Amino acid sequence: MRRFASAIFFVCALFVGHGAAFAAASDADVAKLVKDAVPVALPPDIIWETNNEDPLIGSEKALRGGRLTVSMGSYPLTLRLMGPNNNDAFANWNQQFTSGFGLVSRHPNTDHFIPMMATHWSVQADQQTIYFKLDKDARFSDGHPITADDYVFTWRMMQSKFIVDPFYNSYAEQYLRSVDKIDDYTLRIVGTRRSWRPLADYAGLWPTPRHATVLDDTWVDRTTNQPQIAPGPYVISDMVRGESITFKRVPNWWGDKKRYFIGQYNFDEIQIRIIQQDRELDYLRRGELDLMQEASARNWAEGYNFPAIQNGWIRRTRAFVDQPSGVSGFIMNLEAPIFQNRDFRIAMAHLFNFDRLNRNVMFNAYFRKRSFFDGTEFANPNVKPYEFDPAKAREHLALAGYRRPSDIGGHGFWANVRNAARGLIFARSDSDDVLVNEKGEPARFTVNYSAKSLERHLTVIQQDFRRAGIDMRLQLLEPGTSFQRSLERKFEMVFQGMTSGLYPSPRQYLHSEYKKERNNNNFWGFGTQEVDDLIKTYEESMDADARRDALWRVDQIVHDEGIYIPFWDAPFQRLVYWDYLQFPESFLPRRTEAYMYWMVYWIDPAKRKALEEAMRDNRALPAKDVDVDYFHVRDKLQ
Amino acid sequence: MAWIKLDPITRRRFARFRKIKRGYYALLILLAAMVLSIFAPFLAESRALMVSYQGKWYFPTFSYVSMAAFQQTPPPGWQAVDLETDYFRLQREWRLERTLYERARAQTGSDAAALDAKYPNRGNYVVMPVIPWDPYQSDFWYNEILNDVGVLLKADDRIGAANLARRDHLDELADAIESGAIDDMLKDPTRSASGTLSGLAQGGTMPSLKDLTKTAPNPPDSHRAHYLGTDTQGRDVASRLLYGFRISIFFSLFLVIAGQVIGTFIGSLQGYFGGVFDIISQRAIEIIVSIPFLYVVIILAALIVPNFWMLLTIMALFQWIGITFYMRTEMYREKTKEYCLAAKSYGASHMRIIFRHLLPNCLTPLVTFTPFLVVGAIFSLTALDYLGYGLPAPTPSWGEMIDQALDAQNRTKLWLTFAPFTAITVTLLVVTFIGESVREAFDPKQYAKYE
Repeated sequence: MRRFASAIFFVCALFVGHGAAFAAASDADVAKLVKDAVPVALPPDIIWETNNEDPLIGSEKALRGGRLTVSMGSYPLTLRLMGPNNNDAFANWNQQFTSGFGLVSRHPNTDHFIPMMATHWSVQADQQTIYFKLDKDARFSDGHPITADDYVFTWRMMQSKFIVDPFYNSYAEQYLRSVDKIDDYTLRIVGTRRSWRPLADYAGLWPTPRHATVLDDTWVDRTTNQPQIAPGPYVISDMVRGESITFKRVPNWWGDKKRYFIGQYNFDEIQIRIIQQDRELDYLRRGELDLMQEASARNWAEGYNFPAIQNGWIRRTRAFVDQPSGVSGFIMNLEAPIFQNRDFRIAMAHLFNFDRLNRNVMFNAYFRKRSFFDGTEFANPNVKPYEFDPAKAREHLALAGYRRPSDIGGHGFWANVRNAARGLIFARSDSDDVLVNEKGEPARFTVNYSAKSLERHLTVIQQDFRRAGIDMRLQLLEPGTSFQRSLERKFEMVFQGMTSGLYPSPRQYLHSEYKKERNNNNFWGFGTQEVDDLIKTYEESMDADARRDALWRVDQIVHDEGIYIPFWDAPFQRLVYWDYLQFPESFLPRRTEAYMYWMVYWIDPAKRKALEEAMRDNRALPAKDVDVDYFHVRDKLQ
Repeated sequence: MAWIKLDPITRRRFARFRKIKRGYYALLILLAAMVLSIFAPFLAESRALMVSYQGKWYFPTFSYVSMAAFQQTPPPGWQAVDLETDYFRLQREWRLERTLYERARAQTGSDAAALDAKYPNRGNYVVMPVIPWDPYQSDFWYNEILNDVGVLLKADDRIGAANLARRDHLDELADAIESGAIDDMLKDPTRSASGTLSGLAQGGTMPSLKDLTKTAPNPPDSHRAHYLGTDTQGRDVASRLLYGFRISIFFSLFLVIAGQVIGTFIGSLQGYFGGVFDIISQRAIEIIVSIPFLYVVIILAALIVPNFWMLLTIMALFQWIGITFYMRTEMYREKTKEYCLAAKSYGASHMRIIFRHLLPNCLTPLVTFTPFLVVGAIFSLTALDYLGYGLPAPTPSWGEMIDQALDAQNRTKLWLTFAPFTAITVTLLVVTFIGESVREAFDPKQYAKYE
């Protein structure tokens, strides 16, 4: 669901990195794309900023070398990073290793901006013009220096119809007014509007090798399976269709000399094998994989008691990370008659027994989401989800006018006969204990969901609701259909998750401008003047405290209105790996979306030797903690 | 088939069927199972068959009785007034009162009147169905009970804790709590690593607790009356199997009957009238046949929540086609015979000729194919449920059970695999036996000799 949601909505496209393909470039093509680039000059009183004081991302102890073998579920449809089919799991790897290198980056532990492709930057007072000094050492993997033209080219390419990519077409239009070369190593970017976070909005642009890219209507087909020339530390060196893809490190990569790349990208080679997800552990145990991610809480709780784990040869770690987790839970449609009553909505929230579910169905592995903006500074620390409390739920239901029907159990003779006859055909005969309101309408609604695996959770919730007299029905829909219905607000309640960036975008969800129309992300059909004003403050105010207070207030309103029952949060990565794979003390950086981000781990040959000896002698290695919470994420959630 | 007068040949065929023991007994078994499954609410239900409370009898199988009626204490956080009675728990609570009462009576110097007042429910009893679980109910007792006892222990309610343990047949634990030995056990790290009751269960020094603190699915356990274990949501497998059988067998019977009636009707008309009507309707059938039925059902299931009757209707739209081909050819053959001409010359109407005179002579394909179609229908419903496009959750179904059993995470939970696969194999085998015997009984080449 999450992946699907994020596939449709790129809520935040900060670190999108994109490559291009190589082909013999003719000067005419290039000239056509850059012809209207008018030279501009630097303002005379420019003040350059940089940041070389933040702690390292990787570890100085990291050793270079070796080959990492990991796996993914399916062979990618394309190696391109723009154009059709470019949004699968492989794209993550591809971006991280080859092309996802923007002008500046954000430090994953401190959230400060740090140099990446640019060494210095200067944000102008208008909060939308930024100047960059590019790193003169930067080279593409073919040795060609990276200059301002390569960034201008990326921007042109984003706008091009040849790439057949509506997302980038509209991204370029919505975010970037102009990208101009000042000289070979100086660049100006002007964003479309004034922003309090201009670097986050406008400095994600990456270079595309202009000298090796021919953009025409055959570009999409021509480059589908072409490895790219890229600024990153790796290039694709080998592909076996349906089996594996191998990345090889660029010799003498320019970034090795840069402060923030120390301890990152330690492997000489990274092989990604195509292995079905439920077979990963078998391959790992055979030694064919070095590292894997465990997706199942049941396996994590019950599956790791084999000798290699007990002896510490294979390690497993649940590393807590602090990631924005978006909106995930039960969304109520305020246009559905039954959910128009606030007391009824709050009663539903009080009937949701997360702890029981977590204990009995989810192996106590997850945490309750608390806020609309979890994982960002905008989550109101005073907002706590409604506790499971049937007594309070009853009070709210009474306020909403719902009560048990008066004729419960007191049928006439024929009603009893009918009831018995129905009982003999269907498993349960009665719905006579379902609450009704004054008009005699039963407390009944349908929940849409789009993954069969959720049935386990939903049927348990259903029983609690039913005991309280609420008839909650389940409807499994194909993910596309389910999402479409959410967009069109053709549902009563839906279980759905949406991703978020570090800067939440509440406008799309809660602003009243979307309330009247359909086909948007305001699934609730929510909108009030107060929230509209708060969103405006958040988006436009230059005062960080005012922005934060505005969203805290929005968080509180969402909670008070009870339009959303937050469900689970999994602020961790569950990793399984052989003992020779070493991690820094913090294990993964704080903002780690997936384990292939940042690449701070390494292989220690001495450890590998020790492991081989231990396995030969059948000797156990010292035990290590399974849970690593370097950033105290768990404390915040409990 | 009362409206068809059975001719001597058909009667002989039925007699022949009875002689084929394999098929005959298979039919009896299937009929018995179907009749039993109709009465499933008396075999597997969380509602009691009968409650005797203060001299009054209740029969709650088909009606709602609230906890207040029996003064049952509600689960923590809930209010008793209008919650449905938890009969399984009620039975155990009253049984516990009887035990305590008898124990107290056996002690010397007990005051009979005070005891009567203290244990007022000792004379009440609950009669539960053989399987005291309905197919929707999650039983998380294994994972929860030690928490519940632990909460009482922590609040220093030792009598309450011991009674709770004893109510659920954890006598070893109850004795330890009553004698105070539990404190030393919990303090001893070799017995309980974490110093809690869960630690004690996991440590393994109290063998009667070894199945506790386990998350569902739980293996078969007669103490808890899960005779075939529980599934991943803690629901009783036996109960779901029974209701799943009821749904799939009746579904397929309704489906096959509906399909055969429509198919026979249309096929007969085609064969009897022939000519342009035949040609046009054959083309129409070819169009319908070329639509992949499973996809249609999946697409429709995405648009509407399919309930029992709706799914039946959708599937019946595709079910009737197979039999039309056979009825058509049979009719083509029969209508040229003399008795048909004779009926025509008497001025009998078309419908009368078709259904009164010709159809009884065309029954062979209908009768021989029907049992196999039942097999097919059970299979397609199971397949749809397996894919998640059948009846909506949490309807008990074999397909959903097979889906759980085949999940890689449940590879080691053999009871999940065993129950639905055995059930589906036996059912299909029984129906196939019936079908084979029917075919044999109706075989015109009965007396042919091959040498």
